[in-house]
Amino acid sequence: MRNEQRGPWYLLTGLVIGVVFGLIYAWRISPVKYVDTSPATLRDDFKDQYRVLIAAAFSMDGDLPRAQARLNLLNDPDMASAVALQAQRALAEGHPAEESHELGLLAIALSQGVVITEQPGRSTPSKPSPGSALTVTPTFPPVPGSSTPTSPGATPVPPVSPTAPMTPYPTFTLMPSRTPTPTAGAPFVLKKAPTLVCDPTVKQPLIMVEAWDASGLPVPGVEVIVNWTGGEDHFFTGLKPEYGLGYGDFLMTPSVTYSLHLAEGGEPVSGLTTTDCETASGDRYPGSWKLVFAQP
Amino acid sequence: MLRWLLFFITVALGLAAGLYYGWVINPVEYVNTTPDSLRADYKADYVLMVAESYNANDDLNLAVQRLALLGDTPPAEVVANAILFAVKNNYNQADLALMQQLADAIQTMNPALEGPQP
Repeated sequence: MRNEQRGPWYLLTGLVIGVVFGLIYAWRISPVKYVDTSPATLRDDFKDQYRVLIAAAFSMDGDLPRAQARLNLLNDPDMASAVALQAQRALAEGHPAEESHELGLLAIALSQGVVITEQPGRSTPSKPSPGSALTVTPTFPPVPGSSTPTSPGATPVPPVSPTAPMTPYPTFTLMPSRTPTPTAGAPFVLKKAPTLVCDPTVKQPLIMVEAWDASGLPVPGVEVIVNWTGGEDHFFTGLKPEYGLGYGDFLMTPSVTYSLHLAEGGEPVSGLTTTDCETASGDRYPGSWKLVFAQP
Repeated sequence: MLRWLLFFITVALGLAAGLYYGWVINPVEYVNTTPDSLRADYKADYVLMVAESYNANDDLNLAVQRLALLGDTPPAEVVANAILFAVKNNYNQADLALMQQLADAIQTMNPALEGPQP
């Protein structure tokens, strides 16, 4: 009789106890461990570092399909834009110049489908043609060109032997690399006096720089240094591939006078300041300065 | 007796409901993970990228710092594991050579002189 008076509350108690034990098991005893994840799940800052590595590897091997395959793993909606934006961010945040440069070159290659590498001194390992036979011994004999132990006590890498079961995951299709083509050339010179660009669609006053090589082709990765009273900034051509491989720009602040030169030397340009343009109806809007540098 | 039976049945139903919710309706989505949780093939490719970068810039500190993102495992072991995976999965000879070159460099690294900077 007394039990019947209690009603069905004990069932709810049982349910709550079940859920509580479930949560204790799930959160305390056997919490979720992230294993076997893919690069797409990485935290944003790690994705950035992943892109930096992809760009660094690309600058070494010039293998665009491989870089694209790697970037695909990050599930960016537009990988070229993601890389270009990161290059600009790296530049703005003062990361090593090499980092933004490599990211910029990769962004350009992705958007244009061409490989532009400009480290003529870098070694590129020759890669076997696809499908070529591979003979690998588990003891790893010394590789020609690999570093040699310098101290007497140093020992080479011990032979590695399988100690843990390895799951054969699908891997990338490794592609043959393109041969990097070094860009050589004379120092850039200012091709003509700065031109005021009046384009109502450009809402902010910019310093637009274009760099061309001797044959009139755009040159990415040219570092431009902008100075003003009490300040200095850098930017590179090619980080906005939608405007051309040799294009770069800098946002001016009104009433500030800027001077500009290329990092590798050449003729400096000074006295750049914001100048207004006027539409046919008399509306005023900020104009931009365009400077074209070319190799003679 | 019947009450206890019903009670335990309810507990089991609660557990089942929780698991169904957690595994079917709203399963775990992996976001904001760290590189140490990457699958073995991705880790091996990560190491290969580090090796390619090292081959280009010869900066062992930077390479070790990048490998440190793959967890607490010593860099030499990380590279050795990656080489094992690469061998097992028929990576090409050039990539293996790059990874081996990085392994050699780490083995012969003098931590006092070249250790990763904080």
